[in-house]
Amino acid sequence: MYEIKMPKFGLTMDSGFIEQWFKKEGDPVKEGEPLLEVSSEKITNEVISPVSGILLKILAPEKEEVKVGTVIALIGKEGEKFAEFLEKEEPKRLDVTTEKEEIYATKVTSLEGERRIKASPLARKIAQEKNLDLSRIKGTGPEGRIEKQDILNFLSLASQEEEFQIEKLSGLRRTIIERLSKSFHNTITLTNITEVDFTEFKKIIKEQKVSITSGLIFVLARVLKELNKFNAHFDSEKMEYRLFKNINIGIAVDTERGLIVPVIREVDKLNLKTIHDQLKGLVEKARKGTISESDIKGSTFTITNLGMIRTDFFTPLLNPPEVAILGVGRILKKPCVMEDDKIAIREMGYLSLSYDHRVIDGADAACFLDKIAQYIEKPEFQ
Amino acid sequence: MREITFAEALGEAILEEMQKDPTIFTYGEDIAKQGGIFGAYKSLLGKFPDRIFDTPISEEAIYGSALGAALVGMRPIVEFHFADFLFTGIQSITLQIEKIRYMTGGQGKLHLLLRGPDGISNSAAAQHSESIETIFMHTPGIKVIVPSTPYDIKGLIKTALREDDPVICFEHKMLYKIKGPVPEEDYTIPFGIADIKREGNEVTVVTISRMVHESLKAAEELKKEGISVEVIDLRTLVPWDKKTVIESVKKTNHLVVAHETWKRAGWGAEIASVVQEEAFDYLDAPIIRIGAKNVPMPFAPNLQNFVTPDYKDVIEAVKQILR
Repeated sequence: MYEIKMPKFGLTMDSGFIEQWFKKEGDPVKEGEPLLEVSSEKITNEVISPVSGILLKILAPEKEEVKVGTVIALIGKEGEKFAEFLEKEEPKRLDVTTEKEEIYATKVTSLEGERRIKASPLARKIAQEKNLDLSRIKGTGPEGRIEKQDILNFLSLASQEEEFQIEKLSGLRRTIIERLSKSFHNTITLTNITEVDFTEFKKIIKEQKVSITSGLIFVLARVLKELNKFNAHFDSEKMEYRLFKNINIGIAVDTERGLIVPVIREVDKLNLKTIHDQLKGLVEKARKGTISESDIKGSTFTITNLGMIRTDFFTPLLNPPEVAILGVGRILKKPCVMEDDKIAIREMGYLSLSYDHRVIDGADAACFLDKIAQYIEKPEFQ
Repeated sequence: MREITFAEALGEAILEEMQKDPTIFTYGEDIAKQGGIFGAYKSLLGKFPDRIFDTPISEEAIYGSALGAALVGMRPIVEFHFADFLFTGIQSITLQIEKIRYMTGGQGKLHLLLRGPDGISNSAAAQHSESIETIFMHTPGIKVIVPSTPYDIKGLIKTALREDDPVICFEHKMLYKIKGPVPEEDYTIPFGIADIKREGNEVTVVTISRMVHESLKAAEELKKEGISVEVIDLRTLVPWDKKTVIESVKKTNHLVVAHETWKRAGWGAEIASVVQEEAFDYLDAPIIRIGAKNVPMPFAPNLQNFVTPDYKDVIEAVKQILR
């Protein structure tokens, strides 16, 4: 008896839609006869029966989406019992990742000896020399025979494939992809940018021996307290705009595994030193991979600082359901025209505020940037 | 280089060897007075009247007397008139001529050359059109040569006339009049050395005699379609040049064997079999044999064409093998 499995027609195909079965249960099928029609993405393919026998059982009905590798039918001898097999094999049908993708018929019990792959002697010899599995190669000769050219074509394709390496995406990366896609497609994000004089701010930061980000978080908490509408979530399905009392700031941290956003809670109640220490601890945990679920949940606003790796300004993506995110650019000494029309060397940097324009207007954003700039330019860390 | 006909080249070979070797003499039906029914001996008319003579129509007597003459040290050349008629005196050949050296423990040399026309001509029908070289390739004890060009027949006949073993030479009726370059100086062609008549790298066609020319024509046609065919003229079937054929198959990975004789159990089967035994891993497709359909040759020209292979069959086979 043979299991017929959902074949993989393309690199990205992970499931197929059964358009129609050409055979009914109990019908005899010949090797090479079309068995069913499967569509995936944009293409429709006929699945050819790899063996001759009786179509004993159809396990996946028409108009059903089935994962690649799932057993969709059984072919065997007339009257061959398969109930026992179904019971026994049922749980295995879910396990698709361990199946070899290209082979979609697997022999269950010996029916008529090994199915021989047709290949010319020369093709066989080359395949053996190159250690190739002939079952992975499609023959284009008479009766599907694999010939030398088929092997050479396969090898040239394979050599092209060698130029890249497929890296399985981690769960974290998958989450990032999902969240960023959502952010990009489901919000209307705009970015306002302003240049800020960090000279005084940096002096104090240096004195207090804390990081720029810590200082900015401290400043942010003040601004968010005043402009509460930025310390919020927006649920567009429920049309709910949730304004938070607590100010929980997420900090985008670059780690080997990808972007992680740990959260410092109730920032408005913390002094600069505490913020600095908490941030240091969280970043360490994030980079070591020991961060816990609770450390990365519940942020109401996010800050992302790319200044240390040479970016002047950028357009950060929102961290939904938050409504705004602050991007920090590189702080650089520049010649500046001062109020008294004198030119002075000042430490300048850009702040980018991205916001969901559906709930926050441009003027609000400008106001936010202006406020934060004022706090930075005339810093008070009390 | 000067060009002479196949028949003239044959005549030159015989004449030159007769001048050197007084034991050589040649006889058969209609050769001395007529110059051979297809003109093979035209160039020998009037030469050596005591050593070139006609015989009555009696194959047993002709072959049997040649055997006796050879055994006592003469070097007879027997013309068999039509290859078909060899069957009339077959026992003298297969039982005696082929076996006598073996039966005498190698004491008796047998320098004897049987030669004559074979193959189709213009509606010669079932009893005058046969190619039966396979029979003599099959039965051990005689060397079989089947030249296709004036150059080859002269060199091969000269070798045959210096051999100690019996040799049979088949000359296709339709080749006697073809012309080709032949040097004036003395040369011989050793047996068992094939001639690559055309080099190619996609399909090897192994052939002899008239089919060499059909295969070359096919190769020229196929070249227009970008298909490169190698044509190997075996020239001699016993012995045959296995090495050249296998080397070629290792290069092209495709083998077609083409002969005018019947496909069924024709000598092409032997070549195909040896190649699959010794070069199996180099074959990229099943070997194709081309041969006559397995019927007596019809008289009607259209039916003769239908039964007999030609260049079109070679083209078809080459395309099929590359499919």
